[in-house]
Amino acid sequence: MTAANREDIDHGGRLLLFVTGEAPRSRRARTNLRNVLKARGGDPDQVVEIDLLRQPERAIRHRMFATPALLRTDAAGTESVLYGDLSDSVRLHRFLDDLPDEET
Amino acid sequence: MNAHEPLLVKRPTGISGVDDVTRGGLPADGATLVMGEPGAGKTVLGLQILGRAVERGEGGVFLSFEESRSQVQRDAESFTWGRALRDPDRLVVLEGQDSRHTEIAGAFDLEALLAALDASAQRVGASWVVLDGIDRLLQLQPDTRTAVDQVGRIDEWARNTGRSVLLTGKHAGTTGSTGPNHLEGVEFLLSTVLVLSARVEEQRLNRRFRVAKYRGSSHAADALAMLIDDDGIHLPYSEPVPDNVPEVPRERVSSGIGRLDEILGGGFYRGSSTLISGQPGTAKTTLATAFAAAAGQRGERALFLSFDEFSGQIIRDTASVGIDLQSHIDSGTLRIHARAAWAAQVEEHYRQLLRQVDDFQPHCLVIDPISALLKSSGHDSTFIAIERILARARGTGITTVLTSLSNTDDPVSETTLSHASTLADTWIVLQYQAHEGERNRSLSVVKSRGTAHSNQVREVLISSRGVMLEEVFQYGSQVLMGTARLEKEREMAEAREARALERTRRQRDLERQIEQTRSRMDQAGTELEQLQRQLGEETAAQSDHDHAAERHHRHVLQRRGEDNSHSANAGGTEDGT
Repeated sequence: MTAANREDIDHGGRLLLFVTGEAPRSRRARTNLRNVLKARGGDPDQVVEIDLLRQPERAIRHRMFATPALLRTDAAGTESVLYGDLSDSVRLHRFLDDLPDEET
Repeated sequence: MNAHEPLLVKRPTGISGVDDVTRGGLPADGATLVMGEPGAGKTVLGLQILGRAVERGEGGVFLSFEESRSQVQRDAESFTWGRALRDPDRLVVLEGQDSRHTEIAGAFDLEALLAALDASAQRVGASWVVLDGIDRLLQLQPDTRTAVDQVGRIDEWARNTGRSVLLTGKHAGTTGSTGPNHLEGVEFLLSTVLVLSARVEEQRLNRRFRVAKYRGSSHAADALAMLIDDDGIHLPYSEPVPDNVPEVPRERVSSGIGRLDEILGGGFYRGSSTLISGQPGTAKTTLATAFAAAAGQRGERALFLSFDEFSGQIIRDTASVGIDLQSHIDSGTLRIHARAAWAAQVEEHYRQLLRQVDDFQPHCLVIDPISALLKSSGHDSTFIAIERILARARGTGITTVLTSLSNTDDPVSETTLSHASTLADTWIVLQYQAHEGERNRSLSVVKSRGTAHSNQVREVLISSRGVMLEEVFQYGSQVLMGTARLEKEREMAEAREARALERTRRQRDLERQIEQTRSRMDQAGTELEQLQRQLGEETAAQSDHDHAAERHHRHVLQRRGEDNSHSANAGGTEDGT
């Protein structure tokens, strides 16, 4: 995954997708996010994916105990979390709408 | 199938009360649900279990969904075992509380949680894992079924890794809140459920602990009083009551009052309990201190638990009536422990009392007055506390004296009194006998098991030389004491004397009369003799006369016979001679 070598970079203004390996929900979330970002003309690569099975300490650091989950940090450092496999595209769109520095 | 189900293995919680009621602890592998209102002690329970585990050299993981790490640590620091939780090689504290804006967009699971727990638990070799406030995490779940499934996964993880997991959560059912109950269903899923509750009764928080469910294990099912102090959680009534008394001692222990010992056939039985009840000022405390002082004189330890007075007061007051407590305190045989009844719950008093008993190992125990427990909150458990205190004392051979304030205006205290009096082996009632503006104390032994005793009322005299019992003065149906007794006694003595005098006087009178009669009799005797003599003389004179007359008659007849022919009226002639 592209996420593997980008997980330690500063994620300000970016999206972190927390998954647990290849669990069905994690796979669905990955696909759903990719599709919505594409539909919005966004760059799917802006998403940093973190596999908590491989890096459980990141679950602790980010307080991410339910997965899949999408973590968004705005420029001010305020975090928002969207839990679930992102199958609710209306919610996902709204979550992404609020992103102030969304790239085009 | 059940036949293949492995035997339930338990892991001690290290909290003696909890281990008592769960008969050895919680499942060694698997999850236990702890439900309860906010403030019921769920977090403390989790922290204390971890603290005890760390003290035993085990590891633990604490994940809080409600508090930050520093808050958790601060919570723990206030307890004696809190320091153990600061060891980072033994305990991992994880923060799960989430103040972020969160939304749900589809299904999710707690696999990440398990991954994080697994990593942490392995690092410190955790035997216990506590997830505090699991309801916070479950409320994210779209429905109860999903939530229950997730808890099922946690339980499975615990079983597979051989760890004890504690899940704590708010119990909506008991709070009466209308919000969703995120633990609904979870309580059916898990085999062990503990319910903690916290209610404010009489302006005081009363906590209860209950094992709602423990599949495959016996357990105490009742809701038990729960206390939290600096040692953490205590379940004062969790200990099974010892019902086997090895032997009933025949030995007598002095009450400290000689006359009372006599009445009781030598004193109280060792290991027995005595209730001294009475209205305020009837010298209950004085009698109790006499008992404690007597213990000291025998070289035995006595623990005096005072609910009414400070120890200084007791020592001073009893010294004034000739009972010396100070020297026994100095020699270490007497310990006075003063407590304010209203300042704590009954359970807490009970626990502190047991602590004192364990620490001091007394031969004799005084609780003055036991009725004060009614002033403390949670007094519905007063009876349990009294029963347990007495059972404990009996089981360990401690001779107990309880005093109880009786107040006819207060039905509640009367109930306690009657309850305590059925439990006690001996019941001594102190009373005031009011008579002509004077109040005197009286004592009667209402009941004394295994002792022939007199029901007679005695007067209690308290002077600087100590406590004395006086035989009372029975006057008809009345019992007289004090001045009334003295006055009546004097009155009676005077009357007796008066009667004695009267008798003497009457005796003398009679004697005099007899004397008089006797002298009259003597007189009469003399008279009689005189008369008899007179009569005798008289008779003698008569007979002389008669003889003379006869002689004369014969002489006349003789003469008549001589000249019969010549005088016809010789008689006439005779009369004229």
